[in-house]
Amino acid sequence: MDNAQKRILMAKTGLDGHWRGPTIVARALRDAGFEVIMIGMANTDDIVSSAIDEDVDLVGLNVGGHIDVAIRAIEGVQKARPELPIFAGGTIPPHAAKQLAALGVEVYPPGSQLTDIVDAAERLTGRA
Amino acid sequence: METTPIMTQNTSDKPVTCTSGIELKPYYTAADIPEQHRPNVDVAPGEGPYHRGFHPSGYRSKPWRIFQLSGFGKPEDENERIKFLLKNGETGFIMEHDRNTADHCYNVNHPDVVARREDVGLTGAVMQSVRDTAICMDGLPVDTSFGHAGGAVVQHAPFALAAYWTVAKQRGFDLSTISGTGQSDFNLTYLGCVTKEQIPTQAGLRFNADIMEFCNQHLPRWVPVSIAGYNAADTGLTPDQELGVLFANAVEYLDEIKRRGNMSLVEAARGCGGVSFRASIHIIEEACKMRAARLMWNQLLRERYDINDPKVGNLRIHCVTAGSKMTYQQPLNNIVRGTVMALGAILGGVQSLGVSGYDEALSIPSEHAHQMSVRIQQILQEETGIADVTDPLGGSFYVETLTAQLVEKAWTFFEAIQQQGGYLAALDSGWLHAQAGENQYQEFMKTESGEQKIIGVNCFKDDESPFQVDGFMGTDDAFDVATERLNDVLRTRHEQGAARALKQLEADCRTDKNIMPAMMEALAAEVTLGEIGDVYREIFGNWNTPIQT
Repeated sequence: MDNAQKRILMAKTGLDGHWRGPTIVARALRDAGFEVIMIGMANTDDIVSSAIDEDVDLVGLNVGGHIDVAIRAIEGVQKARPELPIFAGGTIPPHAAKQLAALGVEVYPPGSQLTDIVDAAERLTGRA
Repeated sequence: METTPIMTQNTSDKPVTCTSGIELKPYYTAADIPEQHRPNVDVAPGEGPYHRGFHPSGYRSKPWRIFQLSGFGKPEDENERIKFLLKNGETGFIMEHDRNTADHCYNVNHPDVVARREDVGLTGAVMQSVRDTAICMDGLPVDTSFGHAGGAVVQHAPFALAAYWTVAKQRGFDLSTISGTGQSDFNLTYLGCVTKEQIPTQAGLRFNADIMEFCNQHLPRWVPVSIAGYNAADTGLTPDQELGVLFANAVEYLDEIKRRGNMSLVEAARGCGGVSFRASIHIIEEACKMRAARLMWNQLLRERYDINDPKVGNLRIHCVTAGSKMTYQQPLNNIVRGTVMALGAILGGVQSLGVSGYDEALSIPSEHAHQMSVRIQQILQEETGIADVTDPLGGSFYVETLTAQLVEKAWTFFEAIQQQGGYLAALDSGWLHAQAGENQYQEFMKTESGEQKIIGVNCFKDDESPFQVDGFMGTDDAFDVATERLNDVLRTRHEQGAARALKQLEADCRTDKNIMPAMMEALAAEVTLGEIGDVYREIFGNWNTPIQT
């Protein structure tokens, strides 16, 4: 098992404090052996600098608000580290999920299986 | 004689439990009702211990209030939606504030708000000054309707209430006659949706006691604080824990009022006797929870505070159907879920009800989803006959047994919280978050494994619906308009008066004076939300959040 060497940054793009989803996902990822760095509610600048400073292998965004805020964070990360994969979860309606997919971001809306999310993390970090 | 189950092929020996972890029997008889609860079974509604309700005539004399959470965009957008709901038959109204600004007491020009400007107005209207609140309240029936002024968040409540009351006064309404609430609930942002910055819990307790005393003097018909079990339950606490945490919270208020000695305990009990619960999907258990709540409140007041006035023991319950039970997949199924959860609440005899929108898992409610939430309630109220008889489940062997078992289990959780040093200490330490987090995870794993089936999510996933539900995105000019209006207020208000009022509020915050009189002056002088938030941050500092949010 080499998941311990894989690091995942998790952040919330909104100022809304619902913590159920990201906390459960973080726990599942840790249980699968990943190192999860949770920075909670964060602005684009914080997300980008953490993605660089923490030398992560994957970014997970919890989106609870407008999709444009998430897109700004995604574009910031992609500009700084074009190779870094990103996935997202939260209350993302279908039209917004399409926008994220167009940016190469995998979307896991409410009701997604944890096993699918863990599988995606393994695939996106090149472990699987 | 050997019997064969007809309805189910489940021959597993695994015990069946309700959400609260109480094992359920296949059926119940009179012998199952716990000894101590038997004398309660045959009392009428309107008689102690009141688990059957406070009025024999129940919904015949007073239908439950149709009370939907509402708000988005600019104050005028929110005003329009509220009027739409009232026109469609809503019987109270709720003014939701933008969470980005309100929860943190930020103005819209705060860097953390500017950084996510598109989020502004997505969950409620931006109301930074009394001018914004006036737009939102335009033409609303403040005098004849039960109004929710916003202010669900503890640190935001004094501002939201003072804004509402100031506008009401400007419109010529007599504050002593209007009714409503602002909620001011700890569970919301100290447990459920934890904010980035907020005042420590002890400062919040002081705010709530200030509001209770101020209402006692000036707004006797107002519900000054309304503890929301909902916010604890939708974070993961089970129904028995929701009951336990709600009364552990109530005890903090009552003990604080007693310590301060400015108002009687009887008045304090009335002041915090309007509560809200989550109505989740195990509907018999949920109905039992509402019955248990009334019984527990009566017990608590009698045994801990020696309050025997039956009118004080009248616990008024608002309910909202569980948002987290609404699914993203096949969203029209949520109309059924909303209806069933509403039915559970009504069978439990609640006084007020909000039904989550069918698009809950995608966005805030669209106009159509909102209308459906009202229609669900109207159909239940007018067509089903469910409102004809008070406490229709009363006397059921199962319901009486489960009610008594929930009471017992809830008091056990209440005691566990006391062991942690009380409700606020259990928030400060993160103990309650740990309980909720573990429950969330276990609940999630049951869905993950398929042990708990969720239709459309982990089974029956084919969706052939021709109806596309794609979430409601509100308006796109809330941030810009809020910015303009903020600048306008700062430019055109009487600056000396605003500065003086803010200084007085700051001075009162530093002492143990009630902050509400100075808050009313500050709002009248057009002091803005962010300026008041800055005072809080300077004086009270930031709560040491026990979890990563």
